[in-house]
Amino acid sequence: MAMSPNISGRGGGQEALLLDYARRLEKHRHGRGSVHLHLSGLQPYNRREQHIRAAASSFEPLVQSMQGQLFTLRNSDLVFIYKSESQIQVETVVQRIHFLFSDDPLLVEEEDSNLVFDTWYNVETQYDEFFYLVQSLVDIEQKQEEEKERKRVNTRQALKDKQETGEPLTPAVLERIEQALVRADLSNMVRRQFVCGIGPDMIPDALFSELFISIKDLQETLIPGVNLTSNRWLFQHLTETLDRRMLSMLNKNDGPAIEGDISCNMNVSTLLSQQFQDFNDGIPASRRGAMIVELQKVDVFADLGAYMFAREFVQDKGYRVCIDGLTHMTLPLVDRERLGADFIKMIWHYSMMDFEEEEIDHLRRLIARAGSGRVIMCRVDSEEAIRFGHTVGIVLFQGRQIETIHADDLRRRELLKVKRPRSYR
Amino acid sequence: MADPGLEMSGSLQASSGEDRLIVEQLRRIGNVRAGYYAIHIHLSKLRAVNRKPNFIQIAARSFDSLMTSADALLYRCANGDLVLICRDAPVRDVEQAVYRARALFSEDPLAASGSSGEDDKFSTWYDLGIPKDYSAFKAVIISMASGAEPKLEVKQSKPAARKMTGVSLDPGNLSEISNKLVNARISDMIRQQFAVKILSLNDGGLLFSEHFVSMSELQQRIAPDVNLFANPWLFQYLTEALDKRVLAIMSRKQFKDTDIPISLNLNISTILSREFQHFHKSIGKNTGKVVIEFHLIDIFSDMGAFSYARDVLSDLGYTVLVDGLTPMSLQFFDPGVLQTDLVKISWGPEFSGNVPEDRMVEMRDVVQASGRDRVILSRVDSEDAVKWGLGLGIHRYQGHYIDKLISALQAKGVM
Repeated sequence: MAMSPNISGRGGGQEALLLDYARRLEKHRHGRGSVHLHLSGLQPYNRREQHIRAAASSFEPLVQSMQGQLFTLRNSDLVFIYKSESQIQVETVVQRIHFLFSDDPLLVEEEDSNLVFDTWYNVETQYDEFFYLVQSLVDIEQKQEEEKERKRVNTRQALKDKQETGEPLTPAVLERIEQALVRADLSNMVRRQFVCGIGPDMIPDALFSELFISIKDLQETLIPGVNLTSNRWLFQHLTETLDRRMLSMLNKNDGPAIEGDISCNMNVSTLLSQQFQDFNDGIPASRRGAMIVELQKVDVFADLGAYMFAREFVQDKGYRVCIDGLTHMTLPLVDRERLGADFIKMIWHYSMMDFEEEEIDHLRRLIARAGSGRVIMCRVDSEEAIRFGHTVGIVLFQGRQIETIHADDLRRRELLKVKRPRSYR
Repeated sequence: MADPGLEMSGSLQASSGEDRLIVEQLRRIGNVRAGYYAIHIHLSKLRAVNRKPNFIQIAARSFDSLMTSADALLYRCANGDLVLICRDAPVRDVEQAVYRARALFSEDPLAASGSSGEDDKFSTWYDLGIPKDYSAFKAVIISMASGAEPKLEVKQSKPAARKMTGVSLDPGNLSEISNKLVNARISDMIRQQFAVKILSLNDGGLLFSEHFVSMSELQQRIAPDVNLFANPWLFQYLTEALDKRVLAIMSRKQFKDTDIPISLNLNISTILSREFQHFHKSIGKNTGKVVIEFHLIDIFSDMGAFSYARDVLSDLGYTVLVDGLTPMSLQFFDPGVLQTDLVKISWGPEFSGNVPEDRMVEMRDVVQASGRDRVILSRVDSEDAVKWGLGLGIHRYQGHYIDKLISALQAKGVM
């Protein structure tokens, strides 16, 4: 992508230019808008030079057609000042950048925290606020520069920084991890999250719970400083090893308590392996009906033939199948019925809140096609997400917010149990 | 679950086959054959992709329940077929088990054939109490036991173009291979293949020329003992490193003077890399002469990044193509949803002839919906493939057969 000179890198930030521009804008503020993209809040692995460059280059057509000016700051933040008539084009560009980082906690967690990805200003009416922002950005930058100078002499601090950033996963590190995994005790890294039916009354009804190995814990225990998810292909390979460990834990009596219906993540290749055959032989037939196998969409589509075979095989044994990892963007590609899956999981993304009526209708149709009781909205972190789900016909939910609601509900039930005998007395 | 027992334990016996054991059992049964019946399950006639040893193993276990309850024995033949010999076992139970094995292969034309009587290509039933059936069955078994049938090959899972031998790619050897890749000379391994448009006998032309690294030559140079295709995820990792090498070479190419667009296979992540920036700068205003091919696996792995890359590339004037579809994947989703300029479908000989008509109609509809002008049929290696494509309304082709056509036309001076 061709770069205009003003976005050519992060070495020297454009704070001074921005400050100057903002000062001059005071007299020309009529019909101007501005958006501040907080790329500095992204995870380090999403904040590499190429990511910032890609985000900046999305503004390029607008810069070239003289619709606006872009400033790249030293901390990776972007500030774009534009003519208000191109508001819609700017929003489209920002939306695109959203998608680029849609897996980042900054975007995933924006809803229930004070983290913000983008801040918009109508420069005409909010000039003072806008100028205050620019000034504070310049100030922060100066302070951080001074800070860095101090830090540079401190080697220990530098090492700490490096560890926080996380080194990317390499094949050599992957090999070490996979060897370590054979012996490591993973039972204390198993987490559980409920999938609940939730109606308008917000009372949860647990359908099953997903057991999974916490990647964060695994990373901290086995190989601190390396970001296991930094390369998706190597990570995908790692999950095959995790599958086998999960199966052996589920087979043992001292493994995680498995009461109620449970689900766990598996690769198609694992289902077709001898380990799975052994697992299947080892558990009572009645237990199979209480288990749901979750497969990643990329794994399903990487070899549809293998998926169809494996699905038929496990469903014949009584297991149910859920296709995981869908987003509202990939939902149109997945015909649940044709794929013969019992459930599909769609990741909640807060950008759905801004859907136009037409987009909501489209989503509603897709969910109706898949079957309302077959679609699970996961990574739900707010009540708004649940309400949005309800408007498009979703009744099954999973995520941090559901954990809270479920725990509250259990407490409430406990209280009722305690209270009831008293009232009879 | 029954003890799998001698009859079906492990792949060792599968490779040698138990054909001779069937002959022995027939001898033991002797002349008192009332109540005996046999079922021959023709797994050897499955498509190659479904004839994997672990698939056969799983299919064989569909009969586990019969082994405990009824007087039944299962044999695994050298060619992959299964033979079940029962005595007075309830036909309904056996039918149920055969049905379960058949259901596993529901995407295979063999299993899609009629499930009873004459139409049934999946299984053949013999009532051994009837002399005619008995001798027919015995003839089949003796022919199999004599080794006349080809054995089940262990490595038949990949289409011909992706065949490679050696130990599987694993994190250990991957580390070494990706280091070698950075320093290996690859410019002499870049191959070209044209995609063409055939509208009628006299109306056609070249669409673009795909530039790709010959993987078998790459294997010979950097890892002769490793099968680079054996692990799809680690192979994908390797291609990320390969992209950067290819882009560096292509950046030196003169685009001004080329009339026919070129196409490159790239990972979505590569579009965000410095190497792609360099490439983009080097080609200047010639983005209209470059087609970028993304693989379906890559797209599914991160749809957000894909739609971002697609939009950015389109804005800059590139043509975007999605690769890695098969006729089978067309039955599962409409590639038109991906909104790319072009869609590439890889043909395989297994799709000729035996696809049920309703599936063909479905695929034709998908091709129509995606826009006939956007679909390219690739890996076309025979006239059959072109006929098959024309049947679906496809007019764009690529493959060895097309290469031959082009050279013939060039020899005649037509092209």
